[in-house]
Amino acid sequence: MNKKDKLLEWMRGISFRELTLVVDFFITGCILYFYVESLCYGTAEQLSSVTWLSSLLLKVIIYSIVLSIASYLLLTFISDDELSKPLDVREKQISLMGYKYSATILQIGVVLAIFQYNMAAQGIAALEDLIPHIPLHVMVVAFLLAELANYGAQIVKGRSGEIYE
Amino acid sequence: MNSMPIANNIRTLRFLQGEMTQKQLADAIGVTRQTVMAIEASKYSPSLDIAFKIAAEFNLPLDQVFQYVVKDSHQ
Repeated sequence: MNKKDKLLEWMRGISFRELTLVVDFFITGCILYFYVESLCYGTAEQLSSVTWLSSLLLKVIIYSIVLSIASYLLLTFISDDELSKPLDVREKQISLMGYKYSATILQIGVVLAIFQYNMAAQGIAALEDLIPHIPLHVMVVAFLLAELANYGAQIVKGRSGEIYE
Repeated sequence: MNSMPIANNIRTLRFLQGEMTQKQLADAIGVTRQTVMAIEASKYSPSLDIAFKIAAEFNLPLDQVFQYVVKDSHQ
């Protein structure tokens, strides 16, 4: 069995919902990569510019909307009748587990951002000097990581079937 | 610590029921094929509602489809 056959078999084996989660995971991963790469390669002037930052955030939003619409249109062609069915109890449990991980990462992100903000307010912010607007970046990255954790947990738990902790 | 999995004969019963597929059973009881797979592999304990629906699908009482097995891990 070659790689193409294996991929086709895997595609047939997974549910439409799992496929949607995999696509969402990759889209979020790409957006996170784009965001972090933009921060890493941004010049000091760009990083401190509110205009550059707002255009970066706008790009992130536009990319996520365009990629989501494109992927869902593509997936609709290969979907079964799953879209019309509500989630069963097990899927709801898996979904809740995904949200649990997501909420934890978001909480950590918000706490770190508040911590950074307070450090800056008291004039002891070394990171703020290095990367301006760092509380905002921390929250955006935390949000994207939270989404990744949500999708990843649902994919892993859904595949392994082991949802009891 | 005791582990208490719920064993089942769904795979055998499906075979005896004219080689019913997991998808057919899933559609009949209103869950996804992945959920049927997880129940068959004893990785997921179904709700009472789903358990009764599965038993009804095979025209059997619940205890002939699901068995409550108490395992003591200290032994």
